[in-house]
Amino acid sequence: MGEASRISRYLYTVIVLFVIWIFLTSSLDIQELEIGLVLSLIVGALTYSIFTESGLANLHPKRVAYAIAYVPYFLWAMLMANLDVAYRVLHPKRPINPGIVECKTVLDNDLGKLALANSITLTPGTITLDVKGDRYFIHWIDVKDASVEGASENITKPFEKFLKVIFP
Amino acid sequence: MLKRAFAIITLLFIGLWMASALSGVDFGADRMLVGKYYLNNVMMETGAVNTVTAVVVNYRGFDTLGEVTVLFIASTGVGALLWRRKKERTARTEGSVVLKTGARILLPFIMLFGAYIFIHGHLTPGGGFPGGATIATAFLMLYLAFTSYEIEHRVFEPLEGLAGMGYVTVGLIGLAIGGYFLFDWIWQTWGWGHGNIGRLFSAGFIPVIYTLIGLKVGTELTGIVDNMVKEEVSE
Repeated sequence: MGEASRISRYLYTVIVLFVIWIFLTSSLDIQELEIGLVLSLIVGALTYSIFTESGLANLHPKRVAYAIAYVPYFLWAMLMANLDVAYRVLHPKRPINPGIVECKTVLDNDLGKLALANSITLTPGTITLDVKGDRYFIHWIDVKDASVEGASENITKPFEKFLKVIFP
Repeated sequence: MLKRAFAIITLLFIGLWMASALSGVDFGADRMLVGKYYLNNVMMETGAVNTVTAVVVNYRGFDTLGEVTVLFIASTGVGALLWRRKKERTARTEGSVVLKTGARILLPFIMLFGAYIFIHGHLTPGGGFPGGATIATAFLMLYLAFTSYEIEHRVFEPLEGLAGMGYVTVGLIGLAIGGYFLFDWIWQTWGWGHGNIGRLFSAGFIPVIYTLIGLKVGTELTGIVDNMVKEEVSE
């Protein structure tokens, strides 16, 4: 996906900052909103070139809907992974089989890669060590399949369903 | 061994001496002489809800000017110590995509939050110094994540000076209007924001000064970081 126009990127940054400001102050006092708008415009002007590449396209309804749906999905995966690790810790035989595996991803923009890496790290049992191109190097507490395809099936695929729509 | 034992015994004596001096003060005892005055009059006299801010900027504004001067001297001193004819960043390893993208995403949020802290100095804990330090953190993050990042020097250094001059100018206007340096003319002479105590547009010149201090501290600490990460390049 190419770079959006400067105006679109700037507006997107301002909108995101203003929403964050409203949550931060949790007040709809007109004075807070005025200062919030001014600060969003200033901070947006300083940072939009670093912050975003695709601009307003990020607010496409389908992508926002997928992003909202991703939150409970991810929290559930996180809960399950935590219970799994707790089981491994408490089990007297300590059934672990750690190792570093290589995974492939279909995501090709940086934001998606960041989201995937953080999702992998936040689900216990897997930690992202490094990302190079479309390869992820992941430390896995219980290696079931050391091949690239097998590991991707287990680790990255479940998240990519959502992330490839959110960050095309 | 003998040196260490001597040091420990000396420290024990100093500790005992200080403890015996402090033992006369009961913890939590009401010993406020000036403090009572501040707590009772702060809203009426300065319009600020945050008493610490009112004391630091309004009642004892001169000390804050001194602190800002100390920071400026520290920044200038670092600049003078590390002055070289040709300096460049010499970082060699580029961060991973996770680090770089994370820094890009976080940057505006950190800066907005820093601005939030110094704008709300008269209402919530914080003020110009924590807000400025937060903004400097955003730039430190860029310096650490990108090997080639460098601040816009033509903007940063003049902005630092202008913010400091702005603070002094606000004080001098007070001298002209009210008769002494750092007289709160916006609150006491104009009476601006009197109906607004507890809301954002209140507290006289405290938000104005804290915005200036926030800008000054932010640019200054960033300048120190900039000076320290650069190395001399041999030609």
